[in-house]
Amino acid sequence: MKIKSKFFLCVVVFLSILSSCVEDVDFNQFENIAATPTYEAGILYLEAPEDVINLVSGTSVFSQNFNFDAFSSDVFANRVIDGTITYVVENTTSKELEITVEFLDEADTILDTEVFSIDPEPTAIIQREIAYGASGRSIEIIKSLSTIRVVAENLGDNSSTSNLENPIITLKSSGKFRVELIK
Amino acid sequence: MRLSKALFVISFWLCVSMHAQNKQLLYDFTEIPQSLMINPGAQVDFKWYAGVPTVSGLSFQAGSSGISAFDLFANDGLDINDKLRDRVLNGMTARDELSGTYQLELLNVGFRGKDPNMFYSFGIYNEGDAIGYWFEDYAILAIDGNADQLSKRFDLGDLKTRGEMMNVFHFGANKIVNRKLTVGARAKIYSSIFDFNSTRNKGFFVTRPGQNNLLSSTFNADMQWRTSGINAIKDGNSEETLGNTIFKRGFFGGNLGLGVDLGFTYKTNDQTTFTGSLLDLGLIYHSNDVENYTLNGDITTEGVEVILPDALSNPNLDFWQDLVDDIEEVIPFENNFDSYVTFRPTKLNASLRYNWGEQSLGAADCDCGPNASGSNRAPKYLNGIGGQIYMINRPRGPQTALTAFYIRRFGNIMALKATYTVDKFSYTNVGLGINLQAGPVNLYFLADNLLAYQNLIDSQYLSFQLGLNIISWGKK
Repeated sequence: MKIKSKFFLCVVVFLSILSSCVEDVDFNQFENIAATPTYEAGILYLEAPEDVINLVSGTSVFSQNFNFDAFSSDVFANRVIDGTITYVVENTTSKELEITVEFLDEADTILDTEVFSIDPEPTAIIQREIAYGASGRSIEIIKSLSTIRVVAENLGDNSSTSNLENPIITLKSSGKFRVELIK
Repeated sequence: MRLSKALFVISFWLCVSMHAQNKQLLYDFTEIPQSLMINPGAQVDFKWYAGVPTVSGLSFQAGSSGISAFDLFANDGLDINDKLRDRVLNGMTARDELSGTYQLELLNVGFRGKDPNMFYSFGIYNEGDAIGYWFEDYAILAIDGNADQLSKRFDLGDLKTRGEMMNVFHFGANKIVNRKLTVGARAKIYSSIFDFNSTRNKGFFVTRPGQNNLLSSTFNADMQWRTSGINAIKDGNSEETLGNTIFKRGFFGGNLGLGVDLGFTYKTNDQTTFTGSLLDLGLIYHSNDVENYTLNGDITTEGVEVILPDALSNPNLDFWQDLVDDIEEVIPFENNFDSYVTFRPTKLNASLRYNWGEQSLGAADCDCGPNASGSNRAPKYLNGIGGQIYMINRPRGPQTALTAFYIRRFGNIMALKATYTVDKFSYTNVGLGINLQAGPVNLYFLADNLLAYQNLIDSQYLSFQLGLNIISWGKK
């Protein structure tokens, strides 16, 4: 009888332990988890010194297509939501210049064009942010981007020189994009 | 819920519940034969014992120093993403860990030698162990990204994890040196089934204002991910021979190692006992089915750079591809098959116990059944109280737990042990263990952190151990 009562005590103790509770939880909340980080990095830097511009006859200083597959790769294109591209164009040469940036797809179709007409030094800086996505231009432009074409035209002369040290025109750019990491 | 997401929820719950390998309830609970496994120098009085294969010792421990699954998935009306940000991203640090272990005894037998002062035990158990520290900066990069965080260095060293599964073959000897001192040692052969570890990563990722362009990105990495047996497991899984693969690798077909456990029990007087043990002082040499991955190098890029007039020299230059090639060359992701050595997570236990009260009666006087009659079972004090310390070597340094315990014996048929443990995971860890002896049949059940059972899903630490043995104390 004694052993039975002790065994009963044990059973009661462990049933009590095992009769634990799980409060109200909803694992379906997992469906609502969203990870949409924003990443930024430099895209393209272009630099042309004034002496090179002066060497070129005519207005076309430079025209070049750059392969740029970063945005059209699946890992990015399938996840990008929106973002901005920031350009800063600075001109310390003595002439007015026009920089045209074009985005082309794989078939070389022009998707987007941005033109920067910039005065000569000393105050020539343009900063421009172009939005893509819901509040800007179509994000499809970014997703399809395969080539960046940069055209630089000299709207001034081919002989003058700036008084500034190392006169150049520079095009700087960076991208900041929000991506859907967890869908 | 999609399967992958369901698996994530389950694994998250398991992962955040994982805990270190402390067995404070079993330690120095000498009525249970498995106490020899955590102190080979434990003072036991068995003639022989045999664990019931696969159910003689099962232990599982689960806990977290960070958050519980309830913190995230409670049905509280709050947005899951707000909770994720507040409680995980802002609430956890790189020192928070997600770790765990289990052990399953396949065979455990012990017997007293011709010299009655010697007790031998041997067996096989399967063990799995894993730890991962919260990869804080990786999580910030994944959830927030690097935008608007100029000059913040994201620490690539936040990836710090290791895990393994193995069979352990062991043989232990326990010697009563004199009335005061008992010592023991256990030799182990580890047969590793699989192993992965990535614990010595260094490096950073940082975005700064560029020198030429608007932004520069610097990636500096000295990272390594070592594996053994993983490819065999993957192949076994795809070929539906996973069971055979695990069995084969667990029985000397994988990677082997050697180790030793040491322990002692010292009675400072009739009522006071001091014990200590050092477990898994050993290593495993991985040379079979090894594949390691490395990422080493340092690069800073500001994007595609076109500088005239140099760029005009070759109009067909592919600046983007050149940039990609440069990155891959400077900071290559490579694999190799080099052998490596891993050290087992060594554990230290020590306790001081004071016993008092009437000494428990011999088996002949209890209602234990015919097999216990007239045995050599040693009388024990009814009460014991004391403290224990536990330390384990982990990738970010040793972890410690302190335990106060009380043990109470009810004749020779039942003993209870209650513990209160403080460690980095919990300040409210109360545990209870029960050992039942019905004739030769021994059954024990030990459960930790009982207060958490009020709401299991809110627990940051769960643990239980149970087992079934046959014990004999021999005839007088």
